Amino acid sequence: MAAELTREWSDEQLKSDDLPKKDIIKFIQDNAAHSFLAEHKLMGNIKNVAKTAKKEQLIIAYNDLFESKRFLGSEPIEDVTEHVKNVKIDDKPKEVVEVVDEGPPKFFKSVLKKGDKTNFPKKGDNVSCWYTGSLEDGTVFDTNIPATARKKKQSKPLSFKVGLGRVIKGWDEGILTMSKGETAKLEIEPEWAYGKKGLPDSKIPPNAKLIFEVELVAVD
Amino acid sequence: MALEQLSDVVQRCQAIQDDNYTTEDYSVFQIAGRTCLEDGESAQVLSIVLDEENKNIVRCMGWNLLGPLVQILLKKEDNNLPHCLATLTHLLEVCSPKELLVGLLEQVEEAHPDSIAETVILLLQPLQKVLLRLGSRKASSVGMALSTLLDQVARLPVPQTKEQEEDDVFSLCRCCSALLVFVRPFVEEAKQSRTPKEDELRTELLKFSMKSLCEPLLEVQLKDPETLAESPLRNFATEILGILSDIGESLPDLLSHSLLRRREVPGFLEEEVCYPKESLASLAYLLFVQHIAIDTFPTVFSSVFVLQCNMEYINLFLSRTEESRLQKGLDLYEKSLVRVEDNSLPVQLMELKSFFSVPQRIKGLKVLQLSIDKFDTEAKYKFFQCMLKTSHHAGVEGYIIKNIKNQIDFAFKPDKGNEWFMGAHLFPLLRQVLCLPQGPETDLLQNMDRVMESLNLLRYLLIRDKAWRNQTGIWTELYKIEDYYMKPLRTGLNMSKAHYEAELQNTKDNSKKTNAKESQTQESVCSLTVGNEKMPNMTPEMQLQVLHSALHTFDMMESVLARIEEIIEVKEKP
Repeated sequence: MAAELTREWSDEQLKSDDLPKKDIIKFIQDNAAHSFLAEHKLMGNIKNVAKTAKKEQLIIAYNDLFESKRFLGSEPIEDVTEHVKNVKIDDKPKEVVEVVDEGPPKFFKSVLKKGDKTNFPKKGDNVSCWYTGSLEDGTVFDTNIPATARKKKQSKPLSFKVGLGRVIKGWDEGILTMSKGETAKLEIEPEWAYGKKGLPDSKIPPNAKLIFEVELVAVD
Repeated sequence: MALEQLSDVVQRCQAIQDDNYTTEDYSVFQIAGRTCLEDGESAQVLSIVLDEENKNIVRCMGWNLLGPLVQILLKKEDNNLPHCLATLTHLLEVCSPKELLVGLLEQVEEAHPDSIAETVILLLQPLQKVLLRLGSRKASSVGMALSTLLDQVARLPVPQTKEQEEDDVFSLCRCCSALLVFVRPFVEEAKQSRTPKEDELRTELLKFSMKSLCEPLLEVQLKDPETLAESPLRNFATEILGILSDIGESLPDLLSHSLLRRREVPGFLEEEVCYPKESLASLAYLLFVQHIAIDTFPTVFSSVFVLQCNMEYINLFLSRTEESRLQKGLDLYEKSLVRVEDNSLPVQLMELKSFFSVPQRIKGLKVLQLSIDKFDTEAKYKFFQCMLKTSHHAGVEGYIIKNIKNQIDFAFKPDKGNEWFMGAHLFPLLRQVLCLPQGPETDLLQNMDRVMESLNLLRYLLIRDKAWRNQTGIWTELYKIEDYYMKPLRTGLNMSKAHYEAELQNTKDNSKKTNAKESQTQESVCSLTVGNEKMPNMTPEMQLQVLHSALHTFDMMESVLARIEEIIEVKEKP
């Protein structure tokens, strides 16, 4: 790309109704540096940009481009790679839900597989789950998912009444936000898990943050 | 002779069609057969039994020979063993399974007390064979067999020490291990499908597991792997819990059964038989104290919920008198409490009867303190109130009062004030503390612990709570306390001291007189019998010691009382 570019349109031409917005946008998108486009909110589909940007803004941007000479290729390489870094390459659609309850959040949920978004359990409902629990270092301390698919047919998911304090608080609160069929990752702070004590004589050390992958199979 | 009779009846019966044998035929066969076997003619009996011609006869009548066969096999005489064994094996295959079952179980039930283990171990495989022949109708028969077997095994003494378990003199361990082998095919069958037929089998296996949890498992003292690497009893316990899982019983559901059962609709009898509370208590103990199969218990349940479930069983254990049960209750309670954070148990839990009755039964102060620590402030308050009302034991009351003092002390700290140990509620509690149940006549020696702690508390309050701040309200209420507590106490102390001083003088005089008379017999105030042995009468020296000690106690009380009066006087001076 040439470092210097020549103005195609004069001010009068720009203001004229004969020059459609999208032409200006296209020009700027083709020739301006990435950061310039970002600052002026000129990124993305031309039609969409044309909807949101006023002609005056575009004229200002056009002039600004020539003033600042922030043409494509004039910015250092870091600019581009920064942009690339920020793009998340992820297969799974993610929704992140932070729950606040009387203070700082004590658990964090990420949805791994969406549920039916209709059947949400209420307090006192019976729910059934498959789950795997691990510590922060990755050690799996518990799961009810058998090793083979055949055995899974013979086993039953964990069943209990939710919202009544029978399970650790992270589960009680977490599962109430899930819908039937959903698989979620629950990261639970020790305060809503086994706290300062952990589980003596067991795999849960004191002050352990627990990470559960839970599939809500049924809600009655 | 007997052999001829046997041959005759068999010969005669060969001609009979359609199994129309008479009662006489059966009788002769049985008696002659038995006699032959007892006479050592087992080879001949075997050949008769194996004879194709006698097929029908043997099928109908053969099972009557079970008794004598088993008796011979138990004696383990080498000569007859192979023939008897072969005879038995054949009978097991051809006779009617139902009849064989009856015959075999009869032998188990009638086992000689000295050969219970041998009989059981001998008959397990035959029983298994027969039961497996029953096909889909086996459930109730399996149940019956298991119940009969367990009844016998329960009669065997349970090893208590590691050495006893290793030696297994009475063969309980062998029997338990053999039982596991016996029951395995039925468990596998019950695991497979979900038809109603399998449900019946599952129920029988559930009953068996529950029964085992009581006998023998409630009696055993399991040793941990460090103490005893190979433990048949620990293995048995683990397998029984495994069977419960295999038949679809979830451990958490079982554990919470007693707690939640009230709210479910029970089929009363069914519930009691299938889920007896004592068995569940045994299960809880094995799981949480001995850690049997604990890795199969989901690590998602809250510690408070687990405690709640276990309270039912702790209560059950503590309501028994046997030392072993009491200890189990205490251990289970301690293990459950330790998982819970301090100050976390809310007062609503106190509404569960067991939460209240259990701590009252705790004889050990360490565990009592552990439970107190777990209650939140309001729960502590309610608990102290109730304990003071119901305890009637001066030592415990003293301990509670010390706890109350600690809570008040804690409440004085900045930001730690609360309405229970500082505000409006404190005074009713103090009223309970600062009281003499029988007024001035209260036995101060018997109530020493309580009185001393109460006085300490009062002294503490008067020093710690500045009169001009009066956070606890003690200064406003002081005149009442003086009236109903301090004055009667002063009176009581004076009376007691006077009495004991008189006794002291008496005893000194008596002993002088006795020494002078050189008499053997002493005047004793009372006699003491411990374990059917009358304790020797107290010598005058001992009597004096006791009296001095009593007076010393009164002196202590008096000095604290005096100090209290001093503090009051100083503070009230303008």
